[in-house]
Amino acid sequence: MSLFAIKGLSIRRGRLPIVNEASLAVDRGQISVLLGANGAGKTTFLEGLSGIIPVAEGNIEIGGKAIQAARPGARSRAGLAHVEQGRTVFRDLTTEENLRVGLRDAATLSEAYALFPELLPRRAVRAGLLSGGEQQMLVIARALLTRPKVLMIDEMSAGLAPVVVSRLMQTIRRLADEGLAIVLVEQFAALALAVGNRAYVMRRGRIVYDGDCTTLRQSPEKLHAFYLGGAEG
Amino acid sequence: MNALFTSAVAGLTAAGAYALLGVCAVFTYRLVAVVNFTGAAIGTAGTFSMIGFIALGLPLWPAVAAGVAVGTLAGAAIGFVMTRWFSEASATTKAAVTAALLVGIVAMGLRFTGGQHPQEFPTLFPGSAFRLAGVEVTIASVLTIVLAVAFTMLADLFLNRTNIGLHLRALSARPMAAELLGVRVALLSQLVWAVTGAFTTFALMIIAPQRSPDFMSLSLLVVPALAAALVGAFRSFRLALAGGLMIGLIEGLTSAFGSLSQYRSIVPFLVVLAVLLWSQRGARWDEAR
Repeated sequence: MSLFAIKGLSIRRGRLPIVNEASLAVDRGQISVLLGANGAGKTTFLEGLSGIIPVAEGNIEIGGKAIQAARPGARSRAGLAHVEQGRTVFRDLTTEENLRVGLRDAATLSEAYALFPELLPRRAVRAGLLSGGEQQMLVIARALLTRPKVLMIDEMSAGLAPVVVSRLMQTIRRLADEGLAIVLVEQFAALALAVGNRAYVMRRGRIVYDGDCTTLRQSPEKLHAFYLGGAEG
Repeated sequence: MNALFTSAVAGLTAAGAYALLGVCAVFTYRLVAVVNFTGAAIGTAGTFSMIGFIALGLPLWPAVAAGVAVGTLAGAAIGFVMTRWFSEASATTKAAVTAALLVGIVAMGLRFTGGQHPQEFPTLFPGSAFRLAGVEVTIASVLTIVLAVAFTMLADLFLNRTNIGLHLRALSARPMAAELLGVRVALLSQLVWAVTGAFTTFALMIIAPQRSPDFMSLSLLVVPALAAALVGAFRSFRLALAGGLMIGLIEGLTSAFGSLSQYRSIVPFLVVLAVLLWSQRGARWDEAR
């Protein structure tokens, strides 16, 4: 059984189905990459997993424990961290205060600064004044201080310089190698497939591909077809 | 001149209460993002409960404690409604819900307290604290102002120096992001509502003997409270404190001008109007350019 297992998840807004019977799994030390065109339902899927929006059907298990009925806070305490898209820093709080909000158990701020040394000289600066890259580092570091078993990151690279994205992708890979299970939702497929282990492609709320990242990386035409709607996994 | 001074001092009790209610309104807005119209009504419910407990034979101070407990529970109950069903609603919707709840609480309050029939409130702190230029300053006046200043300072310290305060600031900025980090959003929100319920109730118990002693009039003290909060732009505790004191003192001053004193309840509206016009000056300047 996978550390984080989602089976047959459906999400509706009113009567409109947004996600249909989607299943996904990720194990300790692995990165599962979720790809898909704009509007495919990826962000809604993650929001359903972390409890931001309710799910209509399906199971979400973390370490064998069902969490689909729990509130977002309880899911976090069960070991699920969600880095939302749009870099959701607490703008009026300093960098250090943002980190302290996430601090749990025996976690220390020095862990965050060791992971992203760029944040240390900016620790007293209000988070709203940080650069986009620094804000992204901050929200990832903040989520890690909750001591998660599973980290879900939504559109990490949006609006960031390529050099920053590359640096963040390396960090994500390192975190997985240290034992974290990661679900990565990403628009830039090539970048995500380069660091991921397992790939999923979502189209119109359905998972249409479930396989390893290398296969998909070596068949760009297949990936292209998935995005344009001409292929089924 | 002395008449003016005497009138201003007479407004001190109301000034302290407005300041405390205003600071509570800022506290609620900053931490749970709700313009709370029920603040004074919650305090009124607790104050009238105190009278009920006294009528049942409870001595004064146990009745005060029981009344404050009722105010705290009433605050927590309103907080439960807002947190459970409206946590993700817009600020406008939340304000509309509290306005509707105010109407409901006032209707229930009037039903249970005999309509607008005036009630007799015990004076919790009788007597004079000191004389200022020949004018008696009551203990109640001093106490409401001390309570307002203490709440302002404690709120600042609590929010900036404690872990729960930090979580509350995070919660007020981005409730969902805070909850995703495991912050106990519902519990903390309830705490905010309960604390403001307790302080509001105690403030109203102190000033009730000096006000129109009926449920409706006390509940409508939310108007000067929100005017005071507006002076602080619903952000600054200190400016809300100053705003509340200013409104109370101006109200007191009007009593020195005979016929003008009949219109003293207009003062909060004039303050609201003045603050809104002042806050719009930047927009008008931008438009003109």
